Amino acid sequence: MSATATAVDIVSALRSVAGDVQSAGPELSIDEIRPDAIVIPRSEDEVAKVLRFSAENGLALIPAGGMTKQGIGGVPDRADLVLSLRHLNKVHHYDPGDLTISVGAGMTLAGLQQVLAEHRLFLPLDPMLPGQATIGGVLAANAGGPLKSGYGGAREFCIGIGFATVDGKRAKGGGRVVKNVAGYDMMKLMIGSLGTLGVITAANFKVYPLPRQTATFQCEFKTAIEAAEFGRKVWASSLGSRLMCLEIISPRAQEYLNDGWDPRDPDHFSPAAPVKHHTAWTVSLRANGSDAVLGRFSKDLGGAISEELSGETEAAWWRWVSDFEVKLAHRHQNAMVIRVSVPQSQVADALSAAEKTAIEDNFVCSAVGRLPAGSLVVGLAPLAVDPPSAMQFANMASALRGRLSRDASAVVLRCPTEAKRHFDVWGTSPTDLGLMRAIRKTMDPGRVLNRGRFIV
Amino acid sequence: MFGFGLPAKIKRIVGKEAVLDRPEDLMLYEYDAGINRSMPEVVCFPRTTEQVSRILKLSHERGVPVVPRGAGTGLSGGSVPRKKGIVIGLARMNSILEIDLANERATVQPGVVNLELSKAVEKHGYHFAPDPSSQKACTIGGNVAENSGGPHTLAYGVTVNHVTGLEVVLPDGRVVEFGGKSLDAAGLDLTGFFVGSEGTLGIATGITVKLTRLPESVATLLGIFNSVEDAANTVVALTSAGITPSALELLDGWMLRTVEQALHAGYPMDAGAVLLIELEGISEAVEEDAEAVRLICLRMGAREVQRAKDENERQRLWMGRKQAFGAVGRLSPSYYTQDGVIPRTKIPQTLRKIEEIGKRYGLQIGNVFHAGDGNLHPLILFDVRDPEQTRQTLEIGREILEYCLSVGGSITGEHGVGMEKLSMMPSMFTDDDIEVMTRLHDVFNPGALLNPLKVLPSARSCREAYNPGHPSLGESK
Ligand SMILES: Cc1cc2nc3c(=O)[nH]c(=O)nc-3n(C[C@H](O)[C@H](O)[C@H](O)COP(=O)(O)OP(=O)(O)OC[C@H]3O[C@@H](n4cnc5c(N)ncnc54)[C@H](O)[C@@H]3O)c2cc1C
Repeated sequence: MSATATAVDIVSALRSVAGDVQSAGPELSIDEIRPDAIVIPRSEDEVAKVLRFSAENGLALIPAGGMTKQGIGGVPDRADLVLSLRHLNKVHHYDPGDLTISVGAGMTLAGLQQVLAEHRLFLPLDPMLPGQATIGGVLAANAGGPLKSGYGGAREFCIGIGFATVDGKRAKGGGRVVKNVAGYDMMKLMIGSLGTLGVITAANFKVYPLPRQTATFQCEFKTAIEAAEFGRKVWASSLGSRLMCLEIISPRAQEYLNDGWDPRDPDHFSPAAPVKHHTAWTVSLRANGSDAVLGRFSKDLGGAISEELSGETEAAWWRWVSDFEVKLAHRHQNAMVIRVSVPQSQVADALSAAEKTAIEDNFVCSAVGRLPAGSLVVGLAPLAVDPPSAMQFANMASALRGRLSRDASAVVLRCPTEAKRHFDVWGTSPTDLGLMRAIRKTMDPGRVLNRGRFIV
Repeated sequence: MFGFGLPAKIKRIVGKEAVLDRPEDLMLYEYDAGINRSMPEVVCFPRTTEQVSRILKLSHERGVPVVPRGAGTGLSGGSVPRKKGIVIGLARMNSILEIDLANERATVQPGVVNLELSKAVEKHGYHFAPDPSSQKACTIGGNVAENSGGPHTLAYGVTVNHVTGLEVVLPDGRVVEFGGKSLDAAGLDLTGFFVGSEGTLGIATGITVKLTRLPESVATLLGIFNSVEDAANTVVALTSAGITPSALELLDGWMLRTVEQALHAGYPMDAGAVLLIELEGISEAVEEDAEAVRLICLRMGAREVQRAKDENERQRLWMGRKQAFGAVGRLSPSYYTQDGVIPRTKIPQTLRKIEEIGKRYGLQIGNVFHAGDGNLHPLILFDVRDPEQTRQTLEIGREILEYCLSVGGSITGEHGVGMEKLSMMPSMFTDDDIEVMTRLHDVFNPGALLNPLKVLPSARSCREAYNPGHPSLGESK
């Protein structure tokens, strides 16, 4: 039987399981793997049915939200279907007085924030591309942004989760209240599991009052070490409790923190002309409070402040920081993006390790990072005239990992598909691999979900 | 069959002086601070991870049930050995292994007492934020197992928000690590999954936690209300105004009078309820919020709002809250604390419901609870020697929890399911929910020898016939 005939069979058989099934066009490719069909269930029950159908028919399936983070993980071994959660985009329950909300996994993050903003509430989660990224995808990838410094990650405010399993069950964990220890914490297990244990269909969150007033203080330093020292001192001071964001930004990263979207030379590092030449490391502090509180920042930080942002300029700045990775990738299609996670005292060392690694392979390093969380986004763009070889990416990943401490993780979020085949994008984990594999196996014995991408 | 029997083997692992097997000694380990009982056959106190691992290997080889125990302050029977066997007391694993101020982390053994860690880092301007009211006694291992909260977890988060890494001994004796000092270790968040698993997935032998800096300024206020209704509505008004107190506790009128008679904390004898409200942080914000809180309380009908002038007064206001349970203990031969959670807007109607249930059964119920996060602790007074009252008390507890569920809440906010609430799990979770959790349980604890018959009504151990005692332990008696 030809491959196309099989694909047609799958599509027609699927139609009896879930209403909305479309053949996948040639433009749909995940790491150069082309699925046959896209299925878009209209209910959580339909998601469960599609999963069971896939398991029974030995299909490999890729769950999808806004397709903003499909570059994460290893190259899929196979992908027959893409399961889009886009129809599951409703608010299920919302009581502003309780500061909680329940939504379908296919709702975009921006959509959710809009609902909340009507009551001056928000979810302190600010990953890239909120207009496209869906709640399910953000949770599955454990994506975050600058707000992680002040509020923590999704694990701090996702209080309930609904998911479908490959044997066709709908299951949940947690609930709708902000404090709850009944049963195992399924939220923690599903967040960051990259759709390999089940498909997230709904989530409940604890939400926060929108700050009435914020301001951002930019402070500049000659070196990463000085910047990190300063940032950590502010964090450990009384000012720390009012900080929403505490970002460290490398000089080169400034190139991507603006509204321009022109790709110029997509293959190589090519700064815009004329370039305001940034040589300084920036510590960007976003504080929340009344005039008196913000006044205290001005007073305590004094001469360290080089610029103060507020209002629309401030909002734009933080959007740019969130979108740093996208902008970089847009500018250089061969860029590699690595999420480096270290204890906070190792931030400057990790940044200098990334610089060194980049230089050795003729790449340019730029980085933004949540200083107290030790969570860095490192971009490596090729500088050479010839396109880099796949091995160069592999070498850089292992060179960087070799320079980091035992406490660090370096996960490659983005790099050319060809290169991915030559190394493990995840690197080592302190967490026991045998157990992770056993969990994966018990939840998805037939390897239906995201085959080959995570915990293989 | 086994030479000198299991107690002898365990003595060889941990030393003679670290094993109890005489009935009069074992009796102390048949209960926790809750209502369930069952006596172990041997209790031991390892000092190292390696010893824990060897004991679990032994249990695994011999098929003997094992239950970890911290300080035994749990309220849901978590450390009660339902199938007898071995209790591993972790109290002697009480070293603080590392204090890493540069990274705001500490690594401790599981038997470190909660408050001891805060005391150890206080001089550096830090503390361990989760502060269960039992913090002078309970262990960090127990906090991890229960995902414990406390009055100040409203602003700071519960235990799971403060744990970044674990060393765990699995039921077969394998020692594994989850996470570490950094926040986003690659791989699954098994640290987060383990916290709150109530000793059913493994024994935590090393715990890496966040240290939180102490606030620059603290304001403690007492809002005095004529009715519990007004106090409850104030809770909602405060959160809606965007104020997040670090603590927001409610005591109802009956509790107030009981506490005041016992402790003379300065609480008004004739009020309907008080709210104990604490604000922490940078002084400018604390002052503004304190004024806002005062105005909101008055607007919502408070007859008076007091503010502690100094640390002494602050301690006095808190004493009433912290020792409320002790005060009740003086009044009644026994009391039963429930631990339901409701969305905070449902507090007024739920308190009415609780009152109605108490009246119907003719038993006194007091309320002292974490109002800011809707975590109720109704305290039912009864006489444990009276079987009928005991039965009614349990029924009341169940009715209250069913009501919590009916308004979108949970059967437990911080005390855990343990054995106490096993039968309520199906009211909150479907068979499929529980089946998935059971599958995960079986990945870690396939023989269900570790803390059997807890948390999950369908875990393998619960499906099997109940078999008290174990033949391999019997022969040494
Ligand atoms: C007066 C009083 C006030 C309380 N106030 C609060 C409160 O404000 N907030 C709150 O959340 N709780 C409160 N509690 C409940 C109790 O103190 C907490 O649940 C506490 O965390 C239990 O700690 P423990 O060391 O006593 O553990 P135990 O009671 O000994 O054990 C509890 C559970 O943990 C398991 N366990 C213990 N150590 C380990 C380990 N190292 N690895 C794996 N599993 C382990 C046990 O098997 C058991 O299932 C209170 C209790 C009392 C008596």
